[in-house]
Amino acid sequence: MPRIKTTLAKSLALRIGSGMLSLLFVALVTFVAGEMAPGDAALMLAGEKASPAAIARIRTELGLDQPWPQRFARFVGDAARGEFGRSYFGVKEPVRDVLARAVPFTFKLAALALIVATLLGVGLGALAAVYKDTWIDRVALTIGTLGVTVPNFVLAPILVFVFVIKADLLPVNYDPQLPVAEFYYLILPTLVLSARPMASLSRLTRASLLDALRQDFVRLAIAKGLSPWRVNIVHGLRNAILPVVTSMGSSFGFLLTGSFIVERFFTVPGIGFVGIDAIQKRDTPVLMASVLVTGAMFIVVNLVVDLILPVLDPRIREASI
Amino acid sequence: MFWAGALFMVLLIVVAVVGPTMRHHYLEPVAQPFLEPSSKFWLGTDEQGRDLFARLAFGARMSIFIGLTVQAVALMVGILVGVAGVFAPKWVAGPVMRLTDAMFAFPDILLAILIIGIVGMGFLPVVIALSVTAWPPVARLVMTQCRALKEREFVTASRALGTPTIALVRGHVLPHVWSVLLAVSMVELAGTILSESALSFLGIGVQAPDPSWGSMINVGRAELQSHPMVLFWPCLALSLTIFALNFLGDALRERSDPRNL
Repeated sequence: MPRIKTTLAKSLALRIGSGMLSLLFVALVTFVAGEMAPGDAALMLAGEKASPAAIARIRTELGLDQPWPQRFARFVGDAARGEFGRSYFGVKEPVRDVLARAVPFTFKLAALALIVATLLGVGLGALAAVYKDTWIDRVALTIGTLGVTVPNFVLAPILVFVFVIKADLLPVNYDPQLPVAEFYYLILPTLVLSARPMASLSRLTRASLLDALRQDFVRLAIAKGLSPWRVNIVHGLRNAILPVVTSMGSSFGFLLTGSFIVERFFTVPGIGFVGIDAIQKRDTPVLMASVLVTGAMFIVVNLVVDLILPVLDPRIREASI
Repeated sequence: MFWAGALFMVLLIVVAVVGPTMRHHYLEPVAQPFLEPSSKFWLGTDEQGRDLFARLAFGARMSIFIGLTVQAVALMVGILVGVAGVFAPKWVAGPVMRLTDAMFAFPDILLAILIIGIVGMGFLPVVIALSVTAWPPVARLVMTQCRALKEREFVTASRALGTPTIALVRGHVLPHVWSVLLAVSMVELAGTILSESALSFLGIGVQAPDPSWGSMINVGRAELQSHPMVLFWPCLALSLTIFALNFLGDALRERSDPRNL
């Protein structure tokens, strides 16, 4: 037993280590991008009419006069504390505040989309597996294929056309001024965002459940005379759910990053919206921060899922990966 | 399904090549805005009175050209890196494999957006950004294929005969990789065309007045209520292209059957 524990601890430590390295790599790429971006940070922050002395002072303050390894170390340290400098434009708001406003929207949208995608995807996949080779299976397969191939920005106008213009049920653009609950604004973006993970989760659930239903313990359950419901759900789905959970993790990561298009389409002021806005305004600190934070969320979510798996599945715990 | 996909792609390429020159000019207004389809304007006109068919055809040219360029770069870099990761001496192979793995830590669209943030917006930045994000999957595929092939008897035999590594790779390894690679690059091509449209949709890809399906969808969105057909055509063209390429990729994958390796 102790041997098993140490190998598991070792593999977990390795996984955490590789996650940290990934984070560092993303930070390095972002840092290099910032170095290569046009525009001098000190000049942008001091303003056009600033004296050379004032610019030089800001340069020293920001550490821009130091060699790049020092600057990179400082960049990583600042980022770890959530400091990303100030926006180049407007009132030169700290980037931290911009992010603090945007991240909750992206997070809310991704979480809602993940819930919808899991419920619909697992349900659809389970139905398809239980009713294999019937019309239900074919419908599920068609939805799965459509969900993966139809782009978000094609699905979005279709849904808007049906639910907003034809049926006049829902609002299109995010607008906190209007007296409709925020929930209504989030319905369409959530549906669009969830389409892709929903489709892949349904395919995965179908394959995984079919695999589980072929196992001996399911045959035993049927032989014992258990109801089909108990056989399929309790004995089948419970054993089929693991790859689905793994995939949910990466789905959530992709939902966080995939929200660029959906946020832009429905004008949800999340991190993707802010990031694209920053490119168009050439607001380098905001762009760097939004890319870094989104990338970090993606890595951390996937890391957490990998760490949770041994808790869920004793087979992994004992095989020690 | 293979023939449906192939037929659509041939049709699309014909439209992309001859379409923009055959119809009215795609940049300037030629008539009233929002005309209905007619024998003169096959799909009607857009919000500025430009011929929608001409713009759609030019968008096809844009998508195919960017897609093929990016995939060509991705294949070249990916094959080079993939082969190096397996057959090069350790001090090259190690870092090369590490870099390929690291690239997967970055979600594609995020890296593309970052690169466009530095290089600027437009046609060339899109090609650069998508090329940088497109090679790691190719490299990883080539690596797994090469690793399996390296242990096969005919490769070991050839090496035992003293064939230089480069000749070994060209004569005995790569010929077995092509068919799988072709199938995968169809699906990857669909991904690239989709990413190009996504970037143009976000307004940071191909810039106005040049037409791209993505930017046409972005502009058409404003007229969704009054003139949904302006939005409908680029959406249809894009979706059908993605479908067709996926069909082609799936069919080719079945034919090449990697289990024989």
